[in-house]
Amino acid sequence: MKSRLYLPILAMFLIASGCAESGPPGEESQGTQDSGSQVLEPLSIFTTNYPLAYFAERIGGGEVEVSFPAPGDVDPAYWAPDPEVIADYQQADLILLNGAGYEKWLERASLPASKLVDTSVAVASSYIPLDQGVVHTHGPEGEHSHKGWVFTTWLDPMIAIAQAQAIQEALSAARPEAAADFRVAFEGLQADLLVLDAQLGEVGADFGDRPVLFSHPVYQYLDEHLGLNGKSVHWEPGDMPTEEMWNELSTLLQSHPAELMIWEGEPLEAVKSRLAGLGLQTVVYNPCGNAPESGDFGSVMLQNLANLEAAVEPEAADTDG
Amino acid sequence: MKDTLYLAWRYLAHHRIKTAILVGSLTLITFLPVGLNVIVGQSARELTSRAEATPLLVGAKGSPLELALNSLYFESDTPTLTTYSEAVRIEETSLATPIPLYVRFRSRDYSIVGTTLEYFDFRGLEVASGRSMAVLGECVLGSRVAADLGVGPGDTVVSSPESVFDLAGVYPLKMQVVGVLGPSYTADDGAIFVDLKTTWVIQGLVHGHQDMDAPEAASGVLKREGDTITANASVVQYNEITPDNVDSFHFHGGMDGYPISGVIAVPHDQKSGTILMGRYEADDEISQIVQPATVMNDLLGTILTIREFVIAALLLVAIATLATAALVFLLSLRLRRREIDTMSKIGGSRLSIGTLLVSEIVAVLLAGVLLAGLLTVLTAQFGEELIRALLLG
Repeated sequence: MKSRLYLPILAMFLIASGCAESGPPGEESQGTQDSGSQVLEPLSIFTTNYPLAYFAERIGGGEVEVSFPAPGDVDPAYWAPDPEVIADYQQADLILLNGAGYEKWLERASLPASKLVDTSVAVASSYIPLDQGVVHTHGPEGEHSHKGWVFTTWLDPMIAIAQAQAIQEALSAARPEAAADFRVAFEGLQADLLVLDAQLGEVGADFGDRPVLFSHPVYQYLDEHLGLNGKSVHWEPGDMPTEEMWNELSTLLQSHPAELMIWEGEPLEAVKSRLAGLGLQTVVYNPCGNAPESGDFGSVMLQNLANLEAAVEPEAADTDG
Repeated sequence: MKDTLYLAWRYLAHHRIKTAILVGSLTLITFLPVGLNVIVGQSARELTSRAEATPLLVGAKGSPLELALNSLYFESDTPTLTTYSEAVRIEETSLATPIPLYVRFRSRDYSIVGTTLEYFDFRGLEVASGRSMAVLGECVLGSRVAADLGVGPGDTVVSSPESVFDLAGVYPLKMQVVGVLGPSYTADDGAIFVDLKTTWVIQGLVHGHQDMDAPEAASGVLKREGDTITANASVVQYNEITPDNVDSFHFHGGMDGYPISGVIAVPHDQKSGTILMGRYEADDEISQIVQPATVMNDLLGTILTIREFVIAALLLVAIATLATAALVFLLSLRLRRREIDTMSKIGGSRLSIGTLLVSEIVAVLLAGVLLAGLLTVLTAQFGEELIRALLLG
């Protein structure tokens, strides 16, 4: 009798619970990946400096669409994207980072960790520490400083190759079906960088351990890789140094009698002539952190090489003579 | 027959209080076990669906239930904290994608959930208005939080101090609302999402302050020895992150040692999940890995056992009620003996009189059952909202 009484209720319950069975939208598909979309759009790649963009374009070819959103007139190392640009970064398939503390804005930004590729982490043991940084103490966490690493890693061609390889591996993981093409393109880029490295090595050998000056502390990797005897000042190509800076330079030249000063860009004529008066020849070696006005990373590096060779050859000839 | 049914109806209508009590009793006693069953079933579905959608949880050794409730529903006390290195450890295994969570702080009654952007993809959450958080100090609101507080993109919410008596504790952080999520009908609707690093700002581990080298910070400098500056308590630390001061926010050391409450591990496949679980089996392991579905099923097992007892008790009450109802009907027959005699004398057959009395009983039983059925349907229809309000409210 009792079971008969429950029958209509049970029927109603089943109908009702059947209606309510459909859970919240999307709940069932969570944790799974959409395997249905097979249309291969180019991978959206965002980078934080120009060398990485160049490497990604060389390796990725038509399989990638590379974006480097920093304005053309800033040093990307000191640029911080605004929230709207960070939102664009969030939509990328891969975000290529230079590493070595290059992206100072990264620790204040929200980016998907799974899309971040630190291209220099594999050679982190080669990072050169910055020797500046104020140590301060406040609060319970004790003493700390804001020191870091020199971040212009790509100026050492061998580190640049390691970074390019990291890009090739990341692209291959993101699009395995094009891995063979990425490999071939990487090997082409690697060959170019090895040629550059060999030629730079010859220039470095010609230069020997003669003192050299750098206008800005960004050439440490080049300096170390080529075995140069370099020291850095903190001068900007477009600015006339103050008298205090000239005095500091004179003092430095007494202990470090350089005859060559390497600049990021062409210095002012007045600066060049005053440096010439101090016996310093100027040569431009563009780090190419941002996109050049003409040419590309490869052509800029070849021009840098030619500039160095032109500056070194007369001195080498003098030495030989 | 129609006449008999009319007489039965008139009788029940005339004794409406007695009828109402009988129908009410039968309705309740029928509905209670069925309704309880529906409610418990829906609660179980509500709890398990989210647990089943979360493959693995990793946290410090302690209560698995606390870890699951905190990570899945942002409820319960904060479990024993682990560090961000746990997420790095999972990432380095290449077996799973780690999604770190730091669920500890609140803004009014709502949990502040520190996580990474992968969480939104994992849960299938879409930003309905505005955008996702992009920099420190920005937050995205669950749909219910936005509706309850009446705030949206462009407004601000403030984190609450962990204790009103913690006068020396961290300052509340004013957070910029940049987006509101669409409704998901889960615990996510009642949460405030921020980047993991923002929760560390709330805790005071990541902070921004005056440039210690700047002249205006001179009054905050206790001593200066070479490159080492010791600041006193008067150094100005920011409690709102703005475009002007965001660059001053910094970490002290690597993120690996910073606290989190747990990590959702999304294995690349079933085998990877099994291998990952094996990695946490060592005796000296300081972390635990749990399958949320198992934890919640254990909890539900307890709830379902209690339900069995309750239903058994209700069935006993039902039998007692039915017996009482039968007694009421029998006593009613005795009280109506003269009425039955009168019906017999005016020509009513025994069949007609019997049909009349049975009709009355059946009508009462049917009304009770129908009302119970209606309540069950309503429970099935609106019970989930009620459960969400109770469970997630």
